[in-house]
Amino acid sequence: MTVSLMKTPAETAYADAFDPQGALADVRKSAFAQFAETGLPHRRMEDWKWTDLRQLISKALPPASGTSASAEAIDDLIAASPFGDVARARLVFVDGSYDPGRSSLPATGDVEFASLGSDDLPAWVSDKLVAGSTDPIAALNLAYMSDGAALRFKAGSGMDAPIELLFVTTAEQAATYTTRNVVVLDEGASATLIETHVGGTGEYLHNAVTQLHVGDNARLDRVKVQEEGLEAIHLSNLEVHLAQSACLKDFTLTIGGRATRQQGFITFDGEHSESYVSGAFLLTGKQHNDTRLVIDHAVPNCTSRELFKCVMDQAARGVFQGKAIVRRDAQKTDGNQSSHALLLSVDAEFDAKPELEIYADDVICGHGATSGDLDEDQMFYLRARGITETEAKSMLIGAFAAEAFDDVESGAIREVLGGLAEGWLARRKAG
Amino acid sequence: MLEIKNLHVSLEEEDKQIIKGLDLTINAGEVNAIMGPNGSGKSTLSYVLAGRPGYEVTDGSITYKGQDLLEMEIDERAAAGVFLAFQYPIEIPGVATMQFLKVALNAQRKARGEDEMTTPDFMRLVRGKAEQLNVTTDMLKRPVNVGFSGGEKKRAEILQMAVLEPALCVLDETDSGLDIDALRVVAEGVNALRSPERAMLVITHYQRLLDYIVPDRVHVMSDGRIVKSGGKELALELEKDGYAAFAA
Ligand SMILES: Nc1ncnc2c1ncn2[C@@H]1O[C@H](COP(=O)(O)OP(=O)(O)O)[C@@H](O)[C@H]1O
Ligand SMILES: [Mg+2]
Repeated sequence: MTVSLMKTPAETAYADAFDPQGALADVRKSAFAQFAETGLPHRRMEDWKWTDLRQLISKALPPASGTSASAEAIDDLIAASPFGDVARARLVFVDGSYDPGRSSLPATGDVEFASLGSDDLPAWVSDKLVAGSTDPIAALNLAYMSDGAALRFKAGSGMDAPIELLFVTTAEQAATYTTRNVVVLDEGASATLIETHVGGTGEYLHNAVTQLHVGDNARLDRVKVQEEGLEAIHLSNLEVHLAQSACLKDFTLTIGGRATRQQGFITFDGEHSESYVSGAFLLTGKQHNDTRLVIDHAVPNCTSRELFKCVMDQAARGVFQGKAIVRRDAQKTDGNQSSHALLLSVDAEFDAKPELEIYADDVICGHGATSGDLDEDQMFYLRARGITETEAKSMLIGAFAAEAFDDVESGAIREVLGGLAEGWLARRKAG
Repeated sequence: MLEIKNLHVSLEEEDKQIIKGLDLTINAGEVNAIMGPNGSGKSTLSYVLAGRPGYEVTDGSITYKGQDLLEMEIDERAAAGVFLAFQYPIEIPGVATMQFLKVALNAQRKARGEDEMTTPDFMRLVRGKAEQLNVTTDMLKRPVNVGFSGGEKKRAEILQMAVLEPALCVLDETDSGLDIDALRVVAEGVNALRSPERAMLVITHYQRLLDYIVPDRVHVMSDGRIVKSGGKELALELEKDGYAAFAA
């Protein structure tokens, strides 16, 4: 195993702790070898130039799973999930480990569940756990993942009642927690999935991967809310494969975390599929969010849309890197991405890096990025109707962010998201 | 109600004077009209009344209900009863018209120390007024002014005015872009608000609007000043002879 590149205390901690056991040992070994080729991504790697993990993870955060936190601390964090009333079933993972006592399984035979931490995984799960991702953080995740949800929605089933995957990190230990979800939708299935990340105050790192395998004619609505603790580092990878005539609608709201790097790799494997990926960040203080998407139009006749609305206050830092690849055969691709940043302070910063790699000729592809502060004319108009300056600002910021989740199918979920944005604005007002 | 004395206004960004010694007094119960060629400073006057940033008052004073208007914040002026119907209403994507109206009304009530209006009472109030102004429920659900036609924007402005019930209504070119039927609807809406406690300042380029909203006094503005004042017949004179006679 090449460990020559493992230089920092954090990298050394990952190498020292590595001792894979069980059925997945070989997969973990090759995944770790892959991670070891680069070690933690750093600023001299083009895709990571805004997020240097060697610097960001300045001390060892050894891999851990299982909790020593008190029941109250855990229950308080669980109560922090805003989806308590919306989710029809909930799978809870505390400090990287499944908590069956706090979970409620979907009350239907249409969905199969396995905890990834169990020794004896069904083939439909283990088949999906293959080393080969070119991303070092996703590789590190496979090497170390301790638990997570594997869900399989049966062919033709319609599970529109949302299932929540709730990841609670108590921050009891300055450690790395590694979770992974594997979600499979068989032909014609439809499902709504919520992924919530909440965390306590204290330093920790959460490395989270979600794999989505959306089958022919299947449809998945996924909403992720990231409210990690404000000292946490959140590294996430979304890996999506869309079969034929499949549809994904994905929305992520990022409020928490000291530093977030979230990546999405969406691959069209079958024709006539659609992917809508959107997100909003509401950041303040010195929060950092670097979002990178790679949309791979590998086949013809697919549609992709990405819309990100980024609100940054104080000295927050946002990055949006969106890349669309349109392969030579992928004729009639319709792809468009846009990112819009609202900078509420002179110290806030935003960078957008759109990339189009187009090898087919009959395609419609575009991208756009804007960045600015609140519109003065809009502010004047609202105030001229008697709305105070603070309230007018909140209205405009809220409206700006909400555009990114306008398309979320479920009204109940949209309402929760609106409430989260309002909560953020209220905290901002209170200073 | 409103007393403007020797008003001088320049742009903040560039050294350009737009209003050059304007005097105007408006009493409660009156409708005053200001007419004048494009570029004479009519919109600037309306913005200075509402408190739009970017304009600097270099001399003179504006007294509203005995208070120094220029010392008041934009939203304080609104809560005190100053309303500007914009020549070019601003679009606010993502904020539904109904929601906007409710927040505005309750913000004003709060500033005046009144109780907030409940949602059912508010809905009843708006529905009734909207009907009179041909403002559809669909428009009320849409974001403020977004995708509204020129006429819809003007009707929405008057609806806001009707709901907020200001004491001083400043209407900047409310007739522009309206066909004759729309003009009638808007004028009826405005006339319905005429009352002994309320004053109106109707700014227009054309005499046409004043056939429907009959003014008590007409003022001609040219190059940043009021150059002539008279009764409603002055508007007809202007229509016949044009503004050339008043060119500075
Ligand atoms: N914000 C501004 N920036 C530059 N010029 C302005 C601005 N506001 C007004 N002006 C200028 O001031 C003059 C008066 O404009 P305005 O008040 O809009 O006149 P009116 O409404 O009578 O047509 C015009 O020459 C116009 O170009
Ligand atoms: Mg004008």
